[in-house]
Amino acid sequence: MIEPTVALYGDAFNRAAAILEDLIDQAQVRYALLVDRKGFVLAHREALWAPRPPALDSIATLVAGNAAATQALANLLGEPKFNELVKQGEKQGLYVEDVNDLTLLVMIFDTDTPIGRVKLFGKKAAGELDEITRGAVVMPRELGIDKEFHESADAMLDDLFGN
Amino acid sequence: MSTINFANREINFKIVYYGPGLSGKTTNLRWVYQTVPEERKGEMVSLATEDERTLFFDFLPVDLGEVKGFKTRFHLYTVPGQVFYNASRKLILRGVDGIVFVADSASNRLRANAESMRNLRENLAEYGLSLEHIPMVLQINKRDLPDALPVDMIRAVIDPEGKFPIFEAVATKGKGVFEPLKDVSRRVLSKLAEHT
Repeated sequence: MIEPTVALYGDAFNRAAAILEDLIDQAQVRYALLVDRKGFVLAHREALWAPRPPALDSIATLVAGNAAATQALANLLGEPKFNELVKQGEKQGLYVEDVNDLTLLVMIFDTDTPIGRVKLFGKKAAGELDEITRGAVVMPRELGIDKEFHESADAMLDDLFGN
Repeated sequence: MSTINFANREINFKIVYYGPGLSGKTTNLRWVYQTVPEERKGEMVSLATEDERTLFFDFLPVDLGEVKGFKTRFHLYTVPGQVFYNASRKLILRGVDGIVFVADSASNRLRANAESMRNLRENLAEYGLSLEHIPMVLQINKRDLPDALPVDMIRAVIDPEGKFPIFEAVATKGKGVFEPLKDVSRRVLSKLAEHT
């Protein structure tokens, strides 16, 4: 509870969402997600033509885990980092770009979309998201979660996990 | 640290099940998955070897519900318990909000419990954290074993100062699974309230 966290809201969220919208149009990808390195989704957008996305929580968790493992591999090899991550299947691919040390940009695309296009616009969007997410870092005390929230949540735990 | 998404009005907390190999961390998560109503849980993801040993982590998102307009969610993770997977264990601890330490009651696992606790402290230290900062509860699992060690004996090696709440469990039968989860969730919420 002592670490800073990325809290996207208001103007910062709208700007990040607009970047993801543009990214979907320009790169012609199905889904674009901004996730934090702990595996939580901060924002996401999907193309109008895309089918319902798979579980975003699972995607964010696996991408963050994969990125963390890749970073650990880079460190073992004496590299400060490995830059990008591409997974390509028969019909879909997944591209992950480092935004900064707090967040990752995830793009899911059809394999008939040129990968060069995905990378080009992905890197551009990551650059823009860097500034926004850095500006959205707050300390826990700034979040405005009060005692009333705590008490209400506390009561609901009994409901979910039993008395 | 919890992640707050004001735009989607979501608050997410990360709870990690830690402990020695085969102590029952994945069993806990499976029981939660089987028991929590469909509409309150997401997909369970398990990254395991062919013989069902956890390789990287298990993951289960659970929705608490809407609290003061915020959708509140707990992300439950397990770590791989086997000693040689420490690099993976360390990664899973990133951003942890609360810990359920699952100890094994078997008489030949006393040392493994102690070593896992020491490993937890070391891995937290690498993130600049300590158990002074992170809420933790202890679950003493496999209480139905014929050679189960006394709880006090296990506690003496993992929590000699008696600082953490302790719960006895038989996770395969769902006994003592939800109590520690609920308790650590409460402590996580309470900790957040302290900082606001």
